[in-house]
Amino acid sequence: MDQLIEQIVTGLSIGSILLLVALGLSIIYGSMGIINLAHGEFVMLGAYAAWVFHTYLGLGLLASLVPIFLVVAAFGWVIERYVLSLLNNRPLDTILATWGVGIMLQQAVRLMVGSELRYVQLPPALSDSMDVFGIPISSYRVFLFVVSIALFGATWLLMNRTPVGMKLRAIIQDRSVAASFGINAKRVYALTFAYGAGLAGLAGALVSPLKSVSPDMGTGYVVDAFMVVVLGGVQSLAGTVASAFILGELSGGIAFLQNDTVAKTIVLLAIVVLIRFRPEGLFTARVRA
Amino acid sequence: MPSNISNSSGLQRLIAQLAPLLIVSALVFALPVLLNNDFLLNKVARYLVLGILTISLGLSWGFGGILNLGQAMSFGLGSYAMAMALKLKTVPVHTGASGLPDFMVWNNVQHLPWFWEPFRSLSFAIAAGLLVPALVAAGLGWFMFRGRVTGVYVSIITLATMVVINLVIIDQQSYTGGFNGITDLAQLELFGVAFDAYGRATYYLVAGCVLLSLLVAFAFTKSRAGLIVQAIRDHESRVRYFGYDVALYQIFVFALSAAIAGLAGMLYTVVMEFASPTFLGVQLSLSVVVWCAVGGRQSLVGAFLGAVLVAGMQGALSESAAFLETWTLVMGALFVLVVLFLPKGLAGLAQATWRWVAQRRQAASGAVARGVSQTEGST
Repeated sequence: MDQLIEQIVTGLSIGSILLLVALGLSIIYGSMGIINLAHGEFVMLGAYAAWVFHTYLGLGLLASLVPIFLVVAAFGWVIERYVLSLLNNRPLDTILATWGVGIMLQQAVRLMVGSELRYVQLPPALSDSMDVFGIPISSYRVFLFVVSIALFGATWLLMNRTPVGMKLRAIIQDRSVAASFGINAKRVYALTFAYGAGLAGLAGALVSPLKSVSPDMGTGYVVDAFMVVVLGGVQSLAGTVASAFILGELSGGIAFLQNDTVAKTIVLLAIVVLIRFRPEGLFTARVRA
Repeated sequence: MPSNISNSSGLQRLIAQLAPLLIVSALVFALPVLLNNDFLLNKVARYLVLGILTISLGLSWGFGGILNLGQAMSFGLGSYAMAMALKLKTVPVHTGASGLPDFMVWNNVQHLPWFWEPFRSLSFAIAAGLLVPALVAAGLGWFMFRGRVTGVYVSIITLATMVVINLVIIDQQSYTGGFNGITDLAQLELFGVAFDAYGRATYYLVAGCVLLSLLVAFAFTKSRAGLIVQAIRDHESRVRYFGYDVALYQIFVFALSAAIAGLAGMLYTVVMEFASPTFLGVQLSLSVVVWCAVGGRQSLVGAFLGAVLVAGMQGALSESAAFLETWTLVMGALFVLVVLFLPKGLAGLAQATWRWVAQRRQAASGAVARGVSQTEGST
């Protein structure tokens, strides 16, 4: 019984990390149709930003979250403005371009700070463990869970309750009509991409105390995050949450029964089959075109 | 008579289209005469093999509109097929006549697994190197294209499938050599010729396969099926309304592309003298896309040259200390610039330049003619 609960909690914590990484990806893909292969590198930039803020400015992880968001969002803004906005109506080429940007970011970091592993400290306030149903669970993992849900809530509000979100949804519906109502699509797209990048940066900062920070740490995340987005349905934020936790529990559960390779293989194959039969994702209702 | 004229101009056009292909092949064959260094020749052969792999991607991506992000899967399968056959040849030397490949002995395998057994025959291995990738691709293609999966989703499915196979190969160490791959291979021997990785024979084998794959791919793009495939790329639904079985043509080009990639994989094992899980890794798969895009995805010769040039430069620069670190940065930048400003790659640039020159010449000769007629008029 204890083991089962422990397993569920592990799954929840894998799920909250997946959600953090996938949230930005989901917005970017869902609203702009861009497969952002540089997303993993935004995660990596966030993790390095956390390390830099801590080592050179003595800023704790929690205090540096907002600046990290802004720094990585700025990167995203520049990339959207000077690369992706030139690729209108060429969705497959955005895969290529973002991949090119990704390897540039990776190599730039490698050149500037070297490729040795870096470590970020757990925030002291969250370094002990809590008692949940009699099982000790690290407070930081609980914190991650809370933060990922909170960020999801903030994103949902941003998309559904603010002028920018409204404009973005108008552009998704019909770009030319939106433009004729005076909505500046270019600006909204740049902001959207920047926001998605910022979220990825936050994700990177938040996982940095759990894993070592290295220039190629992003590559692993991007594939997993994609699976979350595809499973959840492209334009459904709620679907992203559900699928992040389903995949988290699934890989936690299968890994518990078998080994990591089997878990990954089963999850990947399930996704291949899912795309074939429900390309719109598990959690989206079929809509009339 | 008029039909005769159009025939001869058709022939002329065919020759004009074949010209870049034949020139490049001639250069490839002539290289050993200029390059009197076996080590260098082996390196060039390696790049040529990657060129064949890139031709195969150009066929499915440039002509079929199917961006296969798992192209290295077919390459890796071909490579392992060849490596298994060559590994079995080393058994009597290493572990006695009735022995097992050395890595199986280290992993306490008692009997040769059933799927290794047929690879005692080299011709079976070569057939498998072509057919296994083609059949896997046909199956995957059937699964995707019958369900009308398109665009980005095709890329995700192909990528995921390759990652799964890669994971399985690494996991099943006792049967596949796991992370280390299959190493310490015998030399390939065909028709009494031994193909030493550093020998001329191997180089010419690779060069012959370059010519062969260029010709096969060229013939396909000019065939009826090839034209329909290109029509599907441009207007899928229109072709469907005309009553063509769109999925069938997509499956065919996907499988043909996989078979060529399998051929490249087999050659790679011969040239590198091992097979490794990185041969069907994400890194290589994405690199092939880069080469293809840089060279020109809608040009077979362009795709081939793109691979040879970029992979060659990468090899050369990563060996020089000055560029060891910055090279990847340069490659990323180059790639982004090509995607942004040269969607048809270097081949597109060459074609545009050629057309510009031809126009200039035409304009000049036109001006001369006009000048002549003017002077005639004035006299």
